[in-house]
Amino acid sequence: MDKALYLAMSGGVQTMNAQTIHANNLANVNTTGFRSDFEQARSMQVYGDYYPSRVYAMTENPATRYTQGDMIQTGRNLDVAVAGDGFIAVYDDSGQEAYTRAGDLQINAAGQLVTGRGLPVAGVDGPIFLPPVDSINITEDGSISIVPQGGANNEVAVLNQIKLVNPDKQNLRKEEDGLIHTRDGQPLDINPNVKLASGFIEGSNVNAVEEMTHIMNLARRFEMNVKMMDTIRNNADSSARILQRSS
Amino acid sequence: MNSALWVSKTGLSAMDKQLNVVANNLANVSTTAFKKDRAVFEDLMYKTVRAPGGLSAQNAELPSGLQLGTGVKVGASQKDFSNGDYNMTDRQLDIAIQGKGFLQVLQPDGTIAYTRDGSLQLNSQGQLSTSGGLVVEPGIQIDPDVIEIMIAEDGIVSVRKNGDADAQQVGAINIAGFVNPTGLNSAGQNLFTETNASGPPQVGVPGTDSLGTIGQGMLEASNVNSIEELVNMITTQRAYEMNSKVIASADGMMSFAIQQL
Repeated sequence: MDKALYLAMSGGVQTMNAQTIHANNLANVNTTGFRSDFEQARSMQVYGDYYPSRVYAMTENPATRYTQGDMIQTGRNLDVAVAGDGFIAVYDDSGQEAYTRAGDLQINAAGQLVTGRGLPVAGVDGPIFLPPVDSINITEDGSISIVPQGGANNEVAVLNQIKLVNPDKQNLRKEEDGLIHTRDGQPLDINPNVKLASGFIEGSNVNAVEEMTHIMNLARRFEMNVKMMDTIRNNADSSARILQRSS
Repeated sequence: MNSALWVSKTGLSAMDKQLNVVANNLANVSTTAFKKDRAVFEDLMYKTVRAPGGLSAQNAELPSGLQLGTGVKVGASQKDFSNGDYNMTDRQLDIAIQGKGFLQVLQPDGTIAYTRDGSLQLNSQGQLSTSGGLVVEPGIQIDPDVIEIMIAEDGIVSVRKNGDADAQQVGAINIAGFVNPTGLNSAGQNLFTETNASGPPQVGVPGTDSLGTIGQGMLEASNVNSIEELVNMITTQRAYEMNSKVIASADGMMSFAIQQL
């Protein structure tokens, strides 16, 4: 069998992977704080004790786009968005520090500050627990000031500070849980220059038109691969016919 | 099969749920004391096809791997308990809670439900009840010869009877507050019930412990902002359309392959 058929097939399969990445970006076009993934194809040459003629394509997602998404005003005082670069530190399911831009915060029954999907928010020294409050206010630097339950309006207490970080993007990677982790696994230091905007949430940074264009482009690329497979089959048919014994 | 199909399917169903939430908010734009919902989107887990940092060929390390996202889901609907507008009605039995507390009402099964709908009525026994017929807890009896009912800021209910010069106290309305009102279960009919997530109710006299005060002769309107909901509706519809476009595109790929090969 001709190796070209397998090459064309791998091209088609990798195109489908690439399309999945763009489809996932587009599916998350409304997800708070979502960061879109890049996709690229790379040539992978097969080496061996023979002439290295076969070069397969391989799809990979080399990075995540960290540009800012739209700022959506909600007016809710527990909604915060990171203005500019930086991340909010949270604890993932295994208790490790991870980073997110989704700032739709809530207080759960235990009085803990958690994100919209229930991940505990990291403070400068550990998880953030709040007493019953009258009103809560999150300032630009992540400090949480509250008026305790039954307290007078001037009885403001500063309780804790949300851990905000601004790491080198090269050291970041989106993991299977959709959160941003450091590549070296080391927790990051707090960065005092990261600013929060209260009363806003950040939308997804997916560019819908760009994703649609990529998807259409990939669909055509897939069709070309299929066409290639068709051509290879025709070639094989022709050579089979030539080699047939004529009676 | 092309996994982009399944990914876009999750997009379609998430946008569908979001539209449901928006539609329900808009439908309740005139419901007394209705609290709007917000759909909380989260990305689903990623499937690692090739882990970053693995070996590719001949001592070549992969600088980046291939992680395929599997789509999106609506993880929760979050109730926004911000106060709605207060509308004057001048009806004696209309009350609004200014603050974050809830009225307690007795359900037919004997458990307590919580509501902010203060359009109260008297039932045939003269008990203070909601317009849904549930008796306000603790029960307050109003005699038939009462001509004036006064509900004070701190919940004290006093009445003046025909021929009397002075009012007399007949009961008091208590208010319940929750640590995490977002965790309450929406039971419909403007009622909420307690859950593990909301925490137990803290019952108290209105005006204390920031439970909120009672305003007589007014009602709390729905906190739905119709413009905001309409904008949400448009973005949801566009996102839905784009996801269905991806399905069409992925389907086109498969059908082309099937026809050609």
